[in-house]
Order: sequence, then C-alpha cells, then structure tokens
Amino acid sequence: MGQLVVNGLALGSIYALVALGLLLIFNTVQIVNFAQGQLLMLGAFIGISGAVTHELPMALAWASTMLAMALIGIVFMVLVYFPLRGRPPFLVILTTIAMGIVLENIALIIWGPLPVSLPSPVRGPPLRFSGVVISMHQLFIFCTLAVILLLQYLMLTKTRFGILMQATAQDLHTARLVGIPVNRTIAVAFAFGAILSGIAGLLVAPIFLAEPTMGGSLGLKGFVVSVIGGFGNLPGAVIGGLFLGLIETFGARYISSNFRDAYAFIVMIAVLVAWPRGLFGEKSSEKV
Amino acid sequence: MTVKRWLPLALGALVALLVPAVTRDNYVIQLLNIAVLNAIVVLGLNFATGWVGQINFGQAAFYGLGAYTTGIATKAGLPWIMTPFLSVIIVMTASLVLGLPTLRLRTYYLAMTTIGFGEIVRLIIVHWEPVTGGTSGLRAIPGISVLGIGPQGQVQHYYLLIVVLGLAALVAARIRQSSLGRAMIATKDSEIAAEQSGVDTTRTKLIAFMIGAVYAGLAGCLYASSIRFISPDSFSGTQAILLMTMLIVGGMGSIPGCIIGAVGLTILPEALRFLGQWYLVLYGLGVIAVIVLAPGGVASLASRLPRWAGAR
Repeated sequence: MGQLVVNGLALGSIYALVALGLLLIFNTVQIVNFAQGQLLMLGAFIGISGAVTHELPMALAWASTMLAMALIGIVFMVLVYFPLRGRPPFLVILTTIAMGIVLENIALIIWGPLPVSLPSPVRGPPLRFSGVVISMHQLFIFCTLAVILLLQYLMLTKTRFGILMQATAQDLHTARLVGIPVNRTIAVAFAFGAILSGIAGLLVAPIFLAEPTMGGSLGLKGFVVSVIGGFGNLPGAVIGGLFLGLIETFGARYISSNFRDAYAFIVMIAVLVAWPRGLFGEKSSEKV
Repeated sequence: MTVKRWLPLALGALVALLVPAVTRDNYVIQLLNIAVLNAIVVLGLNFATGWVGQINFGQAAFYGLGAYTTGIATKAGLPWIMTPFLSVIIVMTASLVLGLPTLRLRTYYLAMTTIGFGEIVRLIIVHWEPVTGGTSGLRAIPGISVLGIGPQGQVQHYYLLIVVLGLAALVAARIRQSSLGRAMIATKDSEIAAEQSGVDTTRTKLIAFMIGAVYAGLAGCLYASSIRFISPDSFSGTQAILLMTMLIVGGMGSIPGCIIGAVGLTILPEALRFLGQWYLVLYGLGVIAVIVLAPGGVASLASRLPRWAGAR
C-alpha cells in the first residue's frame, strides 16, 4: 500500500513535469503543444546518446541535453507555431500533432525501434521505511519536481520575464505596441517548455526504457493532467499530476492493469463533465 | 447547377467507374475499396469539423464500432440486413453519450475527450478478446447479402461502394443547403453571433457530430462485410489523426475535397512504400506545409487554378 503510494507519486511527478512544460507554452501563447510527449522522447534519446553512446559524465550529458532541447524548442516554435499566429487554435493542434509524427519517425530512423536504457544520475542504496522502499532515483525525481516547481513559480511571478510572458498571453498586439519583445518572449517560452519535457525524458528513461514511440502516451498524460488541474494553473498541474500517478498505480493494482491507460481518460472525462474548466480553474478565459 | 459545376463531377464519376476496366488486380481494387470507405468516413467527419468547426478525434472509434458491431453480429449468425441498423443504433448511442456532455467544451478539451474516447474504445476491443478477437482481430466475416443476393468479388464490391459514396456525398450536399447546414456554418463563423440569431449552437454541434458518427458507423459496417477482416489497428488513434489529415489536406468543408483527400492519402502510402520510415516524416511535414500554405486544402488549390491561368 505505502509502496504503491510512493510508486504512484514518482510516476505522477513525471506527468506533472510534462504538464509544467505544456503550461509554460500555454501561458504565453494560449497554445497546447500536442508534441510535448515526442519532445520528452527526444530528451531521453539525446541523454542516452550523450551518457551511454559517447560515455560523457552524467552532469555533462544532462547539460548538453538541456541545451539541445532549448534549440529544438526554438526550431519547433518557428516551424509549428510561428506561421500560424492568429489562426484558429484548432490548426495549431494539427501542426503540433504532425510535428510529433515527424519527430517520432526521425527518432526511429536515427535510434531504431529497440528500447534502450539510461542509467540514473544518482546512485546509492534505496531508503527503507517500515517495508516501503524508496529508490534514490525516485527521491531524485521528487527533488527535481520540487526545484522546478519553485523555480517556475519564481520565474512566472517575480521576474521581469514572467511579466513579459503574462503580457504576451493577455494580448499579443498590445504587448507588442508597448514595446515587449513578443517574438523573443515566445521563443524563450518554447525553449523552456522543451527543456522541461527533456528533463522529464531524462527522468523517465531509467524507470521505463526509452523507445521512439514512448512519447505519445506520456504526452497525452500531460494533457490529461493539464485538463484535470485546469490549463495554465501551476499548482493544478502538480496536484493533477500526482493525483493521476496515484490513480493509475492503484487502478492497475486493484482493478485491471489492461486498462491502465484508460483510467486517465475516464477521470479526465468525469472531471470535465463536472467542472468544464478543470478542478482548479483555468488561468484565462476565452476572449470574445 | 451550371455545366461548369457538373463537368468535374461527371468526369470524377466516369474515372471512378472506369477504374476496374483498367486494372483487375485484386490488391489495387481492395485498396480502392478501403479508400472509398475512408472517403465516406471523412465526409462524415466534415460535418462536425469542416462545417461546425469542432475538432473530433473520435471518428476512427465510430468507424470501429460500426465494423465490430457488424463483424460480431454476422459471425453470431444474424442476417446481414440487420447490421446497418444495428451499427447505426450503436454509434448513435455512443455519439450521444460522448457528445452531450463534451460538445460544450472548448477546443483543447474536446480534442482530448475525443482522443480519450477513441483510446477507451480501442482498449475495450483489444482486451475483450473472446468477443472481439483481441489484437489479432476478426477473420472470415460473412459478406453482404440481402435475401441471398450480394456482391461477389472485389470489383462488384467496388461498384457497390462507389454508389454508397455517391449517395453519402449527395446527402451531405443536401444537408449543407438546408437550414441545418446554414446553422452549422454560422456556428463555425461565430458561436456568439449564431446564438444571437436564434441558432441553438449546442444542438447544431450535437446533430452534426451524430450525423458524422452515423456515416462512420455505416462505413464500418460495409468495411467489415466487404473487406471481411477487421483488427484494432484499422481504428486506432493513429487512424483518427489520419482521417483528420485527409480532411485537412483535401479541404475542410468541401465535399470533393473530402473525397480527394481520403482517396489520395489512402493510396499514397502504398505508392510511396519504397520510402520506408521516411514516408511518415514527409507525411508530417507535408501536413504542416498544407496547413500553413494552403489552409483550404487541395480543393482550394483547384479553385484557385483558373484565376492564376487567367492572370497570365
């Protein structure tokens, strides 16, 4: 029981990280990136290329992955979002999905279809509390989530950049009129969003193996979390993520593991029927 | 209608009818049969997505529900003539249950709930093995037969499916001209303005969604009894995205566009098989290019052509 809670929270932390990446992009351009899962997969594979194939030290492999993800995030923005500014969000959903297909198949061409493993950056014997085992990697996942949550909160509320992001989200044209470097702000948001999903990939790969098709379901879980927590809602994303991790772990154990992936959607549909804007509310509402 | 509007239509029908005279290769005809069935499904998708502007990734699931209802019912010994009705009842119920609570939702939520619905249907098909055959699917499904009469061989099936596609397009065109069709377009243009003009937008969305599901359910019924083999892969989330792509590439809101997109994107992967994995990379980039450069799809390019020619 206690073990299931720990495992559920670890899985949930990863979902929360994916959701936090989505949130950064959503809070700036009101766009939901349906290729976030594929960005996560790229993060995992770039990490593997660095740490396993080229045998870089772990810290260097992580740093180079984050740098690569920042660049990929910007290229992604230029290809998928930039040409469609001001067009219906519906179309951007489709271009991000199409880009997800492109990334997944490029990964298949480069790294092949076989699952690969990435070692955890932390080593050491697991902690034990009265029968509950917490591995060092799980502990590392919890700490990473906490640090990122704190940094993201400070960045969004306390820094100049956070204010620029909010202004861009509220009204792109007015933001530009008052001299905010809108394009640069958006590019930075996409870069950070990609870095966050890259980190999630680096954290997932030591638990499950990395394979090119891993992104689809993880990305969808990130949206489910965003929906449960309310799009653009920071505490909502974290609580929603942990909640979903617990539901999946307990559902797989006590109901049926065959329908593991369905629980997320069932919970999401139930939440939407009851609270059409998520449990914790959306950050912004539709403009008329 | 003028000659100018009838001419491409007649040409298209002529080409479609002449195909079996050119090739009798069973593989090619079967591929075309699937293309025609996909075209019916995309025509259905066009109601909610092309005309009302609601994203819908559940269409493949309705397609699958129709196919599996028919497959399971005929294999259990029910006469074929019952299956279209049975399929329609099942997909209408499913689309009502899914549509009623979700169609009020905003774009992303709707995209997610329809993806979720598709995934739940797929998981049920995969794991309810004694009835659905699981991942290996259902084989040797009885064919179409009304009072002992039914099409024999791929070519006869092809003609039958072409006729059904023609009817499906005709019905879609009639609905577009009706007050319901105008309500759909009004809802797409501006929900607030449509509500102000007395259009019940939620009802319009729901009806469009259900008509689309019925198209998919009937196409699924015909798929099961003309291809005679069904498996979960044909109705997965990937297929849902592919159907949406067919609509976008062909041209949202355009009936010929739906048909062109569906037939083109069903045949293209077979024709470009030599590209291997690169096909999907190019497919993704191609979709982005179409959305960015030609938002009206291939159908809009065709209508722009005379203007370019005239400008020279």
